[in-house]
Amino acid sequence: MSSAVHAESHTVRRRLRVGLAAKQAMFGYAILFPTIAILCIFRFVPMIQAFIISFSKYDLIHPPQFVGLANFVDLVQDPLFLNSFWVSLIYVVFSVLPVWPLSLALAILFNRRLVFKNVLRSAVFMPVVMPAVVMAVVWTFIYQQDGALNTILGWVGIDPIPWLRSSAFALPAVILIGIWRATPYYMVIFLAGLQAIPAEYYEAAEIDGAGHWSSFWNITLPLLRPTTLLVMVMTVIVAMKVFAVPMIMTGGGPADSTRVLPLFIYQTAFEFFDMGRASAMSVFLFVAVMLFSVAQIRIFTRGEE
Amino acid sequence: MGKVTPAPAMGPTYTTKPMVSFLRWAARQRGNVLAYALVAVAVAIALVPYFWMVSSSLKTMTNMFRVPVQWIPDPVNWRSYVIAWHAQDFPRYFLNSGFVAAAITLGNLVLASLAGYSLAKFRYFGRGLLFLLILSTMMLPLEVTMVPLFLIIKRLDWVNSYQGLIVPFLIDGFGVFLMRQYMLGIPKDLIDSARIDGASELRIFWQIVLPLCKPALVALGVFTFREAWDMYIWPLIIVSKDSLRTLPLAISLFMSSYGTAWDQLMPIAVLGTLPMIILFFFLQRAFIQGIAITGLKE
Repeated sequence: MSSAVHAESHTVRRRLRVGLAAKQAMFGYAILFPTIAILCIFRFVPMIQAFIISFSKYDLIHPPQFVGLANFVDLVQDPLFLNSFWVSLIYVVFSVLPVWPLSLALAILFNRRLVFKNVLRSAVFMPVVMPAVVMAVVWTFIYQQDGALNTILGWVGIDPIPWLRSSAFALPAVILIGIWRATPYYMVIFLAGLQAIPAEYYEAAEIDGAGHWSSFWNITLPLLRPTTLLVMVMTVIVAMKVFAVPMIMTGGGPADSTRVLPLFIYQTAFEFFDMGRASAMSVFLFVAVMLFSVAQIRIFTRGEE
Repeated sequence: MGKVTPAPAMGPTYTTKPMVSFLRWAARQRGNVLAYALVAVAVAIALVPYFWMVSSSLKTMTNMFRVPVQWIPDPVNWRSYVIAWHAQDFPRYFLNSGFVAAAITLGNLVLASLAGYSLAKFRYFGRGLLFLLILSTMMLPLEVTMVPLFLIIKRLDWVNSYQGLIVPFLIDGFGVFLMRQYMLGIPKDLIDSARIDGASELRIFWQIVLPLCKPALVALGVFTFREAWDMYIWPLIIVSKDSLRTLPLAISLFMSSYGTAWDQLMPIAVLGTLPMIILFFFLQRAFIQGIAITGLKE
C-alpha cells in the first residue's frame, strides 16, 4: 500500500514537473514571439518578396506583371548595371584593403604604454562618432577646389585636385572617406582581440630573445587570426552596403563613376520606379552579402560548438 | 595589456651593465618617439575634419570660400548658428530624430533582452532553429530589402508616419545575439532558486536577470542609438512630408537645395554631431564596447 501511494505521488510529482516544464516553455515562446513576428514581417517576407518581384515588371501604378527572367537577362546586358557592379567592386577592394593593416597598426600602437593613452585613443576614434550624413557634408566641403584638402596637399607641392568634379577622382574621394571612417572602428575590434592575448606569451618570447617583429609574426598574428578574419569579412560587407556618402556627395556622378550598387538600386526603384529591375539587382547584392555573412557567422560562432 | 618589456630600472642588468641597459633604454625611447609620432599623425587625420567643420561653422559666407583658406574664423560669426537654426524647422527635425532613435533603442533593449533570455535559459522545441533564423536576418541588410520593405510599409499605409520609421527596426538580430550570449553566463541556480521562492517568471526576468545584464544593455543601447541617429536611407525612402523629416534627411535635402547655403549647413552639421559627441563623452566605455563586441554587426 505504501508503495502504491509512493508510486502515485511520484507520478503526480512527475506530472507536476512536466506541467512546469511546459509552462516554462510557453513562457519562453511568449517572450520570443514579438521578436520573431517583427523579423518575419519586416525581414523575411520582404526578402521573399524581393525574389518574387525580381521576376516581374512593376512600376507601383500598374499591377505587377510576371516576366520570368527578363530582368536578370536585361541586367547582365545593361552597361549601367555592369558599370555599377564594377564601381562597387573597386570601392570594396580599395576601401577595405588599406583598412586592415591600418587598423591593426593603430590597435598595436594603442596596446602599448602611452601617456594620455585614453585621450589619444578617443581622439583617433572620433571619425566613428560623426554621423554618416554629416561626414558626407563636411567632406564635400573639404574636397572643394580651393578647400582644406587641396590647401594641405599644396604644402607638399601637390597641385589642386578636382576631387568631386572629375570622374577620375570622385571614386577615390569616396573611398578615402570610407577608410577614414572604418579604420578607427576596426581598431577598436583589433584592440579587443589584442587584449585577449595573454601577456605571458610576450614575456616568454622576450626571455627567448625574440624581437618585436618576431613576436608580431609568431604570437600576435596567429593568435589574432579569428579577429582578423572577422574584420576582413565585416569590412567587405560594410563596403558593399555603402550608400549615404556617394548619394550625398556625388549622386553617383560624375559620369556614373561613383554609382555603387546600393545607390543604383535606390535610384532604379525610387527615381525610375522600376521595382522589378531594382529587386533583381537586390538579389545580386543579397547573394554577395550572404556569401560573406555566412563566413562571418561561422567565424563568430565557431568557439561555441 | 600587452606590455612588451619590463621597466628598465627593474632589470638586473641595470646595475651590472649600465651601458647595455642604457642602449636598450635609448632603443626603447626611439620606439616610443616613433609610436608618438604615428599616433600624432593619426590624431591629426581623425580630427582635422572636425576642426574644419567647427571652424567653417563660425565663418561668414565670404570667409568660407576665401583663397587662401582661412583656418581660424575671423571674425567669429556666432550668428550663423542662430540663422541656421531658424532657416528651416530644424528643432522639429532634431526632435524627430531623437524620438525615432529613442523609440528604436527602447524597443531593441526590451525585445532583445526578452528574446535573449528565452534563447539562453529556456528549453523548448525548435529553439536552435529559431536562433539560427534570427541570426540569419543579419544577412538581410536594408540595402537589399528596401524595395519590398517599402511595398509592405505602403500596404500598411505607414508611408510618412512615425510607425513606418520605427516599427521595422524595433528589433535586430545582433541585439538578440548579444543578449543571448551575455545571459548564457547567468547561473541557472539563481533563476531556479527564485522559482522555488515562488517568484513569477516575469518578475524573475525583471528583478534578477535584467539588473545583471546592465553592462550589455548599456552597450547595446548606445550602439543602437548611434545607428538609429545615423539612419538615412530609410527616411529618404518613406518620408516626403516636411514635418516627419529626421535630421540626416533634412541635412541632405538642405545641402541639395538652395544652391547649398554652406554658412548655414556647417552649423547644422555641428549641431547634428553634438548629441553623438555628448553620448560618446559620457558613455565612452559602453560606446567603444558596443563596437568591440559587434563582431556580427555591420
